[in-house]
Amino acid sequence: MTRNRYEVPRSTGRRVSVVQVRWTLLILLTLVLGLAWIWVNRVPSNSAFVPASQSPAPVIGYPAPDFVLTTLDGEEFRLSAQRGTPVVLNFWATWCPPCRAELPELRSVSERYAGQLAVVGVNQAESAATVAKSSPELGLTFPIPLDLQGDVSQVYGVRSLPTTFFIDRNGVIRQIQNGPLTEATLAQLLRTIFP
Amino acid sequence: MLPVLQIGPLTLPTYPLSLLLAIWAALAAGEWAARRQGIAGDHIYNAGLYGIIAALVVARLAHVIIFWPAYRTQPLEIVGFNTRALIWWPGLVAALLVAGWYIHRHRLPWAKVADAGALGALVGITIACLGAFLAGRGLGAPTRLPWGISTWDVPRHPFQLYWMLATATTAGLVAWVLSRQKQPGAAALVALVGYGLALLLIEPARADSLTTTGGLRVAQLVGLAAVILALWRLRTRLKPSPDELPKSQ
Repeated sequence: MTRNRYEVPRSTGRRVSVVQVRWTLLILLTLVLGLAWIWVNRVPSNSAFVPASQSPAPVIGYPAPDFVLTTLDGEEFRLSAQRGTPVVLNFWATWCPPCRAELPELRSVSERYAGQLAVVGVNQAESAATVAKSSPELGLTFPIPLDLQGDVSQVYGVRSLPTTFFIDRNGVIRQIQNGPLTEATLAQLLRTIFP
Repeated sequence: MLPVLQIGPLTLPTYPLSLLLAIWAALAAGEWAARRQGIAGDHIYNAGLYGIIAALVVARLAHVIIFWPAYRTQPLEIVGFNTRALIWWPGLVAALLVAGWYIHRHRLPWAKVADAGALGALVGITIACLGAFLAGRGLGAPTRLPWGISTWDVPRHPFQLYWMLATATTAGLVAWVLSRQKQPGAAALVALVGYGLALLLIEPARADSLTTTGGLRVAQLVGLAAVILALWRLRTRLKPSPDELPKSQ
């Protein structure tokens, strides 16, 4: 009797090839090993999980690096003091047309959600006099910390203006926008930090 | 990392450039694979371009619908050049539907088009992964392996490069299957197995995975489902024809 690739089980009369049986076993094995691999590599908690030991970095999912700067009004601004309130941290300069274009949107949001959301406009490497001169025209109503030496911009890896970080009430960066915001994109990004 | 290309006074962002290159390469590879199977290459370009246009239009429309109060005061933004103002999932569905409509309308063989499309997609993803690596998009999980790349003072997995290697290898395998295949559709299934395995195995090297209930990584679940589905389809294709079977007594 010659051995054939295809065998006929007598009980059912159904033709099943040895190759197909092997494939079925391969699929079952893949399924079991795959599920085990997924289980072993699960994340300890949900995506909002941030270990306390995690070092701050200007990256989505990481605690926003803290900084202290003097504002245009001469007051001290410390980012960590905003903890408990979602923060929109915008980097801008007066010479940057897209930055100027988005300021009305930021002002509008700042006024609409006063007390529930902090909008902060870090001015990059310009003197207080230069910013103050443009202030009435731009209608700056939210805090404007002055990053005179550009140190904070460097820590945040700001490569182009405007750049905006969306920080949740726990101080974790949830979104980063490189380039100007429109009302629609601002509304979209606010959803990541503000219900 | 090379997030921008500085050419004289011109500053070009690497990632969008790599995406444009990826789309072009994907269409070119798809066209090559289609021609090898006796399908006019223009059909692949046409289906791809119609799909891309449909994706962009529908992705923007979805954004407009969801954020209509914002657009109501700035209607010109509906046609504005803003890559952030897109909702990708409806766009992807639209692209598949339009490409499918094109294939149906021109009576193209589905399986052969899927084979060509699979090779194109893998080539495109390979290039996009390189762009993501250069631009520093995404965050790898911390590692002590010697090839870990220091990001924000922590050595991390260059998971984008893992992806690039995985998709490039799968593309090579798919090209090989295409060159000697007798069953249309088999190359696409091999591509699905390779892509699914990449999702399953590489995702733990990321620190920014999307997770679901119990902390399970969504990409891994999708990857495993893709592998099982593709293996099952390959298995059924192995079903012997009546001529191959021995005569039952």
